[in-house]
Amino acid sequence: MVEDSYDAIVVGAGGDGPVAAWKLAEAGLSVLVLEAGPFYGNEQWPRPNEDPGGEASSSAEDLSGDLLDEQFTTREFEMITKLVFGPADHERGFWFRKFPGDGAILQCAGVGGTTLHYTGCHPRAYPAAIDEQGHWPIEYADLIPYYQEVEEMCDVAPAPVTAKEELFFRGAADAGWELIEDLNVTEPGYRPQPNAITQPDERLHVDAGYDGDFTYPDVEGDTLALGNIAGNPHPRGAPYEEKAKKASNVSFVPPALRTGNVTIRPNAFVTDVVTVTPRGDTPTVAGVQFRDTWSGSVQQVDSEVVVLAAGAIETPRLWLNADLPANEWVGRGLTIHFGDNVMGLWDPDDLDEAIGSDVIDQHEGQDIAARFDYPGVGMLQTVGTAPGIGAILGFGASASGFAFQNDTPGEPWDTIGRLAGTELKRLLSDYRRMLQILVVSDDRPHQRNGVTVAPGVADEHGPIPIVNYEPSEGDRQRRDELARIAADILREAGASHVHRSDSPPTALHVHSTMRMGKVVDEACEAYDVDRLFVADHSVLANGVGGANPTNTGQALAARTGERIVERHF
Amino acid sequence: MVTNRIDDWLSVMWQSLTSTGGLLLELVGVGPDVDPHTKVTFRAIGDAVMPETPGLAGELGPEHVSGGLAVDLDAFTVTYVDDGFQLGLPHLGPQGNIPIADPIAHLLDSAALTLVERGDNERDPDVDRALSLLGPDDPSPRAVEDVVGPFAKLSRRDRLRAIAIVDEFDVEFTPTDDDLFELDAGLVGQLVIGFMEMIYYSEWQGYDEFTQPPSRRSHPNDRSAVQSWRQTGFPGFADGYAALRGYVGTTDSPLGGGDTWATVDEAADVRIVRESGGFRENDYETSDYREPFPVESG
Repeated sequence: MVEDSYDAIVVGAGGDGPVAAWKLAEAGLSVLVLEAGPFYGNEQWPRPNEDPGGEASSSAEDLSGDLLDEQFTTREFEMITKLVFGPADHERGFWFRKFPGDGAILQCAGVGGTTLHYTGCHPRAYPAAIDEQGHWPIEYADLIPYYQEVEEMCDVAPAPVTAKEELFFRGAADAGWELIEDLNVTEPGYRPQPNAITQPDERLHVDAGYDGDFTYPDVEGDTLALGNIAGNPHPRGAPYEEKAKKASNVSFVPPALRTGNVTIRPNAFVTDVVTVTPRGDTPTVAGVQFRDTWSGSVQQVDSEVVVLAAGAIETPRLWLNADLPANEWVGRGLTIHFGDNVMGLWDPDDLDEAIGSDVIDQHEGQDIAARFDYPGVGMLQTVGTAPGIGAILGFGASASGFAFQNDTPGEPWDTIGRLAGTELKRLLSDYRRMLQILVVSDDRPHQRNGVTVAPGVADEHGPIPIVNYEPSEGDRQRRDELARIAADILREAGASHVHRSDSPPTALHVHSTMRMGKVVDEACEAYDVDRLFVADHSVLANGVGGANPTNTGQALAARTGERIVERHF
Repeated sequence: MVTNRIDDWLSVMWQSLTSTGGLLLELVGVGPDVDPHTKVTFRAIGDAVMPETPGLAGELGPEHVSGGLAVDLDAFTVTYVDDGFQLGLPHLGPQGNIPIADPIAHLLDSAALTLVERGDNERDPDVDRALSLLGPDDPSPRAVEDVVGPFAKLSRRDRLRAIAIVDEFDVEFTPTDDDLFELDAGLVGQLVIGFMEMIYYSEWQGYDEFTQPPSRRSHPNDRSAVQSWRQTGFPGFADGYAALRGYVGTTDSPLGGGDTWATVDEAADVRIVRESGGFRENDYETSDYREPFPVESG
């Protein structure tokens, strides 16, 4: 059960909060983690979307691989609906937030947060993004020991090669790029993803003639069944901690609970940060108030330290709604890796020549297992999806209108824009012969971009977040350059048709709205509120160069956990 | 962006909203389950986004003919958008969800009027076009003829053009006095194109009843149960695949080693090899970093 007071409260059990909680608990502090969404795979909540279930979980014994198997069905539409940011109750819709245009923000609710959705990609930041772009008050070298610790905890290793990765590597090599073998990337080139997914059993090699079941204990590790965006419970039958994908609920929550010092309270939306001002100057944090998303009841818990880890949208929203001291950078400087999608389609004979098969079958293998790095510009990554997610990511949105409204003379793509109708049906009939490349640009923090709240536009937890995002000319040029490189790689790999989405700004990676050096200091403690820390992607001082941010967010959260203990306990 | 038209558009929008008797009542959960105008409009959306395509039979095969209306994609999309977003304010509807299918239908009518006003429609609006989309379980054409809006009268491609116009409106409207409900126009395109496409191509059609609680849903995970899977060739969800080709490596690379399965780049010695290694914890140097593109301050 939830006590009246703790040494530390962590607001949010997403990708980073459990890392900070683990560090604090390892040091012997009592820690309460408050999570707005449900706790999947926990015996306290056998039907987490239908019944309120238990109150809190304080033991790794509660974790159940069988329940995770049951709740994570791998069916894409059901799982997207289940995981996207909203209350646990399946009868209620997503929490509404405002985003400009027809883009969207991808956030998840639940213990594990958006790592429930993520594809396990765990590269480090580009060193130059930390050391040379002028945003960070600490050095890349400061992060390395924490990267190493996180990578060890998450089984980070080179991702396996299936047909789609081989096709991409061939295209990248033929386009003149070189293989990168390093963790600390300073030059452009291609490499396997450093993925936080336990590598597959070697018996799953195409030459090994495996004809057994793909369930534990027949096989261990990843089963190459895609599905990470939909939660990935594979291998089915495995104990909770033996699941291949190391989302934070699998990697950091179990060791945090095993310390005996951590209580995780799901279905708890924090609506206020309580402060006291004993000396009449800088406020000091005293606890938080949260609302039960099932019953609506409100509870206050006291603590010596509060760590905000609700993510780069909700953390500034909470700050603003809690009426904490004004700071011109709270909520500002949002980066989202302003992205795009470039799709290749192949003729069967060309594919056969390239990869020895007339289909790519993107649903086999890991979702994202090959990448192209370009420090200063961003990255590309191959994406395999089931057809529903593929349709909305690749064709469902565009800043250029519909493809039939656009001509493409002189462009490296044959079509550009949103697709619907006959054209979409014709194109998706080739689902088994298509490969999508996700463009992820190194957009830079601008003060105009970010999260605000407005009185009057409120939900049950206060004024909702209103997000503004408008890329700069440089951001657009970086994205265009990456899209051109993607098209070139697909052509070199033999694609007969290349389609570019020209996606509207869509926030898959969300960061830098409570930036280190602007809102928080080098230990991630707020300049304006004593004992209030931030440990999520909002403290990243920029978009880490365009590399997937989870590794850096977790490394920094681990570092922050240690700094909290050093400073205050 | 059509900022000079926003005031006009808002005015049309507001007239459209207020002239629809019962809309505000529906916003507070009173009224018919699905407004006939909304029903007809969403059938027109479904027909434009995922049409029946007899022309693809010869090119791709007979399984590629059926479209969204054949599987009631339109009706489910109404349910989905009405249940999909909530502010947790019970007086706005069941479970605090915000019913937005009706406002979307009216917004698309406004976009259709704008399209025609601009002269950008390629074919004349025609009420029979909308009525021909009614299914066997829908009210008779005569019963709904009077509620067919401008959007549903457009040709398929003109309907898509009208949706594209909605994307241009970077505005919001607040039909209630206390600003409790806002609808960003950009969300409309996302819902009626992006989400409709995702629903259609996902496993959705295979459920007995998706609105059941999760623990009571059943899905056969069989290609024959999902029309779109037959059209894409997606085999359904699997526990795993023996699809491993190996790991990337070179002769001296730490990334991988062992037997070669395939050569990727002969000149650079890049191969797919049987065993995985690891990435190198390399020294790095960034002092020669130069920004490839302009960097704006702020």
